[in-house]
Amino acid sequence: MTQPLLDIDDLYKSYGSEDVLEGIGLEMDRGDVTVLIGPSGSGKSTLLRCVNQLTDIDSGTVALDGTDVTRPEADVNELRKQVGMVFQDFNLFAHLTALGNVTLGPRKVLGMDADEARERGREHLEQVGLLDQADSYPAELSGGQKQRVGIAQALAMDPELLLFDEPTSALDPELVGEVVDVMRDLADRGITMLVVSHEMGFARSAASDIVFLDDGEIVEHGPPEQLFEAPEADRTREFLGRLETEHEGTP
Amino acid sequence: MTSTLLQTADWLFVADNLGLLLRGTAVTVALTAASILLGFVVGFPAGALEVYGSGLPKRAVERAGVVLRGTPLLVIIMMLYFVVSVSDSAFATATVALGLRSAAYQTQIFRGALQSVDEGQLEAARAVAMSRFEAIRHVVVPQALRRSVPGFQNEFTIVLKDTSIAIVIGIGELLTTGQNLYEGGRSTAALEIFLAVSLIYFVLTFTTNRSLDRLSDRYAVPEGTA
Repeated sequence: MTQPLLDIDDLYKSYGSEDVLEGIGLEMDRGDVTVLIGPSGSGKSTLLRCVNQLTDIDSGTVALDGTDVTRPEADVNELRKQVGMVFQDFNLFAHLTALGNVTLGPRKVLGMDADEARERGREHLEQVGLLDQADSYPAELSGGQKQRVGIAQALAMDPELLLFDEPTSALDPELVGEVVDVMRDLADRGITMLVVSHEMGFARSAASDIVFLDDGEIVEHGPPEQLFEAPEADRTREFLGRLETEHEGTP
Repeated sequence: MTSTLLQTADWLFVADNLGLLLRGTAVTVALTAASILLGFVVGFPAGALEVYGSGLPKRAVERAGVVLRGTPLLVIIMMLYFVVSVSDSAFATATVALGLRSAAYQTQIFRGALQSVDEGQLEAARAVAMSRFEAIRHVVVPQALRRSVPGFQNEFTIVLKDTSIAIVIGIGELLTTGQNLYEGGRSTAALEIFLAVSLIYFVLTFTTNRSLDRLSDRYAVPEGTA
């Protein structure tokens, strides 16, 4: 019963001689919203990509719902049906409309018939406030709209877990809010989310856990009030101090 | 030979022989269509192999491409007919020669088009649980095909006019049919015949390129960053 949805254990990853992740252990329960913070190059995005196996791990395990998804015979596509991902650069399919982007996965991977996929796709676009843009192509959308389509695309697969890789980093500042609002709404609806982001507003108000990663290690892990108000490690304090001066005025 | 452009008798000669020229045109069109089709059927997978393949198949395709692109068409066609004898039919042999050479060029057209689709989209497709093949097929290929139209228009035009080389193995297509009309002093209408033949080539090129433009417009998607 207490089996975590995501269980990362002793995960190592290096690129050549550069160690990126050095023994990561992390658990998430259903409904958790875990935000990964840390300096650039600390391994946050790599950790995220190891969860859905876009990046191969060197050693350790990633288990989803009790199943080790990193064992050699595991079907990576079965895993990816359960784990959606939202990318920093959106990566929308340029030749498809917003609705086409949202329905491609369900149609081609889940074998859903076109009508049902469209109907459900519209619901997902409505969820991110973009039903009126269903027939627009990515090039006709703003960055914030693209990212919301990206979120709808991930939701359309009905995943157990959603990964967000710096979802607002490529956005103009005035467009960040609309994406954060959608993410907050998902968090409220109990969707399990693992988020790499420095959006402190989101982290404070929506996260159940904050994980501070530095140099490929988890330095500190705790609820937002503890990690932000009373960080234990010097490295955490230092990082948060730097972040505050950089993001002065961010809600 | 003092033919000028406005020699009515010569133009009448062309008009009288229009049927022959059109028969030559039919050969040219058939040879072009068959060669382009063969070039596509071979060249498209070869282009994909150059981008996504590895090991021996990829190397084999690359080397075959270098050889085919580096050999004069005249040599390819004569080798296939007189040395290798791929077929007793000159038409089939010419199709294979033009088709393989076209395949080598089309490979490069499609390679470039496939590579122009940014990697992130392939990754996003993988992230929604598509296999690599599905991701390439449903996400990369539709965009690459759109981007290959301009290169394909060039290739079509080149093949169309290169069909005239098929005369070396005895195929009387459009240009050869035209030449035969005045050869041996049978007529003074050489210039008029060449102009008529050129006009037919132009009409073929123009209509085909226009059709491809239409096709391209019909499936166009707004450009920009996704």
